[in-house]
Formats: sequence, structure tokens, C-alpha cells
Amino acid sequence: MTGGQTGRLLDTGLLSAVQNMAMNRALLSSRAAGLSPDTLRFLQFKPCVLVGYHQSVEQEINRRYCNQFGIEIQRRVTGGGAIYFDPLQLGWELYLGREHFNGADLGGITRRICEAAATGLRQLGLNASFRPRNDIEVAGRKISGTGGIIEGDAVLYQGTLIIDIDVERMASALRIPAEKLNDKALSSAHERVTSMRREMNVVPALDQIKTALQQAFESGLGIGFKSGLGLRTSETELVRESVDEFSSDEWIYQVQRSPVETPNCEARYKCKGGLLQLQMRVDLRHRRIKQCWINGDFFLRPARLVNDLENHLRDCPFMKLEQSIREFFTQHEADMVSLVPDDFTRLFQIALDPLQETAG
Amino acid sequence: MATVRGCDMPDTLLYDIDANVWCTLDDEGLLTLGMTAYACSLSGDIVACMPRKPGKEVQQGKSCATVESGKWVGPVKAPVSGEIVEINHQVVDDPAGINEDPYGAGWLIRLRPLDWQAESTHLLTGRAAQDAYAAKMDEEGFGGC
Repeated sequence: MTGGQTGRLLDTGLLSAVQNMAMNRALLSSRAAGLSPDTLRFLQFKPCVLVGYHQSVEQEINRRYCNQFGIEIQRRVTGGGAIYFDPLQLGWELYLGREHFNGADLGGITRRICEAAATGLRQLGLNASFRPRNDIEVAGRKISGTGGIIEGDAVLYQGTLIIDIDVERMASALRIPAEKLNDKALSSAHERVTSMRREMNVVPALDQIKTALQQAFESGLGIGFKSGLGLRTSETELVRESVDEFSSDEWIYQVQRSPVETPNCEARYKCKGGLLQLQMRVDLRHRRIKQCWINGDFFLRPARLVNDLENHLRDCPFMKLEQSIREFFTQHEADMVSLVPDDFTRLFQIALDPLQETAG
Repeated sequence: MATVRGCDMPDTLLYDIDANVWCTLDDEGLLTLGMTAYACSLSGDIVACMPRKPGKEVQQGKSCATVESGKWVGPVKAPVSGEIVEINHQVVDDPAGINEDPYGAGWLIRLRPLDWQAESTHLLTGRAAQDAYAAKMDEEGFGGC
């Protein structure tokens, strides 16, 4: 099959994380082998945390909390960071032939798929848009994270849609030190992540959400996704085999790294433009930022630029921080009062100085 | 050094056009391989690299390493079957090195081919490789490195 214009719609309902991951492996392999058509799948998860393919559980997950509350720990086949998933979120996945993207690089494929998803959300009344590199946002707050994997001439691209979210549970399941799990950290998460429940007076029914996304993907990608086709026998067999593999510790804990390599750090910097505060998680092994949160008392408009800057600096090597911050402010028109891009560079330097000394 | 659409392509290396990897065989019969500048350009900034472990055998066309960029995971395919004898720990610790120097410090793996004679016939070098890449880039609508 060459991945024509007629694809398949699957809705696999609420499954465990290992079952969903096994589906990823089976459906992608099958699509790459030309044995199955382009596919759109909707899925939901029983409570679980999922680390990205190259991440370490020890670094990302609060195992004690997850064990205590029966939250399953799994590894995704796709990239990106650790996420908490429960039935309050809807997952969507596309298994497609690369020929649909006509030579686009990975960023181009991401954009096309995410813009289609954002269109679907706008149909539902949300003011959603794609935020590079991989998010869909509403008024600067993330409502959907995405990631992908390539196998041969096929891609799997998947995203979450936050219909509702238990921020406290999410923050507890992911590895955030107890002392950070205070009101400030939770309020910080609320500023950066949103949900359909928070953004809309009435949340549409699940079926309505799925229909809007399906129509947007069909129109954005030029593929019709037909329901009623189900899994092929070979796919069902492959799911069964993959469940065995993905249930093993060898799969889940295959990347072993110490949490000591990814410390949290913070800084305060008082400058002419006000007070800048930073909380940050860094990767000492790769000498780069994992994630950062900036707040404080300063004037920067549009306000969403703070979140955009945080997003821009994710995975940024320490060495390239200054250049990357300058690039950001060259690319984005910012209205600042007595604040200059170098103030942000200084803020990061203050946070990094003690670590650089430790790392030698 | 030769370039195709702005992508470096050293003349002396062998290329697996489909897998988009380069390789070179040394006097001891060990094959060093890595991603081409074209593959690096398609990927963007690489943030993780996980080669398979030394001692593992990989089949031709199967994944001998994975790389991640922009939340995408992709395989690096072995141009021939062989046993992995060494991995480049430097790029595991600093994956950006793959983008910075794909043909030098950014190499990924050394493997001992199982049947070099039989499996290496599809590898191209020099002008033939450059022409094949130019055609591939045209077909894929690639704008250039």
C-alpha cells in the first residue's frame, strides 16, 4: 500500500500505558512495512507517567508517589519530556507515509500536523495556535504537547489534548523535589498549562472533540479517515508481542541516569527593569537547560513572550545561552521598560555559576 | 570538500543513500559510520543519541542507534550487517557534536561487518554518491543545508 488518500480511523478507548505503547510499535511497524493504511487513532490512558524515549525514569519520575497511587510508569517510543496522563486527557496519533509531506524536514512535518490540530480546536471555539517547536497553545498556555518517531518511510506523530488536568497530581508524579511543590510551583504550572475546562464555559462532548480533530486532520493533510476498519490480525499479534517487551524492566529502565545529573537551581536578579526570578532544571551531563520558568516583577509585553522564551530555551546548551536569548529578542518584537535582553542572560548566569564551578 | 545543495560530502567516504549514512572501512576491517550532513540538516539540532550496545549484532537496514531532535526520534540504519564493537561516548554525552562535525568527531559507531563483500555493493562514493544525493534531494524537495 502506498498510503493513498483513504485512511483508517481507530478509537481504542481507555487502555493501560503498556497497551497504548504496544499499539504505537505495532501500528507504526505495520504502516512502515506497507501492511496498513494511514491511520488516525484516538486513545485514552489509565493514570500513568510516560518518559520520553531517551529519558531516564530515575531522573524524571517520582517512583514512590507513583507506586503509592497505582500510577503506571512507561517509556514512550517518541521523543520529548516526561508527562502525566490520566482519563482527563485525550490522545491523538497519526500514522502516515512520509510522502504526504513532500520533503519537509521534521520541523515542517510538526508544523503541518500541529496547525491542523489547532484548526480543529478553533472549530470548537478555542483560540488555539501552534507554538514552535511542538506545542499547541491557547493565549500562551500549553493545551497540547506533541512528539514523533520515524520508521522507514512512515511517521508516527502523537499529541495530548488537555481536556482537564489535576495539576497537583501531575506535579507530584513527575520528579519535582518536595520543597518545590509549594503553592508557587503549582501557580507557576497554572500559568503555563491550561485545559479545555479552564478555557471554555461548556466543554464539548468527547465525540464532538474527536470529530473536530478528525475533520481538521482530514482537511489539513488531504487524507480521509474511515471508521470501521479495525486492527489487522498481524497488528493484533504484534501488539501482543510488544506488550511483553514493553512490560519488562529492560524496556522501562533502559536508560539509567542519576537524578544528581539533573539538579534544580534558581536565581534572582534585580536590575533597572525590575526583579527577574528563575527556576530551572538543568542537565549537567549534556551541559544544557532542560526546562526553565521565569517570573518576577518586570514589564515585558506581550506577556506571552515569557512563556515563549522559556520554550525557546528548552534544551539550550549553556554555551549558547547568550546567543539564543539575543536571537529570541531579534525574532520577537518585545515591549520592555528599562529591561534589556542581556538582563535575562545575566539571570541565567547567576543560576549557572555555582553549577559550573561544581562541574569543573 | 565536495558539496551537494550546500551539504558537505567528503569524496573519500562511502554513502548509503537510502539510510542517509556515511561509512569508511579501516585496515583492520572495522567500519566507522555516522549521519551525513544532509541527514543532520533534516533532523535539526540533535539533543539525544543512543547507540545500541557494543557486542550487539545489527542487521543491514536496521537501527544501530537512535537520535532525537525537536521531540522526534529517528533511527540510524546500519549500511551493512555487523557486530557493534565501539560506540562514540562523546556524542552520547554531547549529541550536538553530531551536527557540528558529522564526518569527524560526530561519528556514531564502529562495527565489524559480517559479510562486507556481499552487502557493500550498494554503497556509493565520489561523484556517483554526489549525483545520487542530488537526485534524492530533488525527489524529496530538499531546499539545501
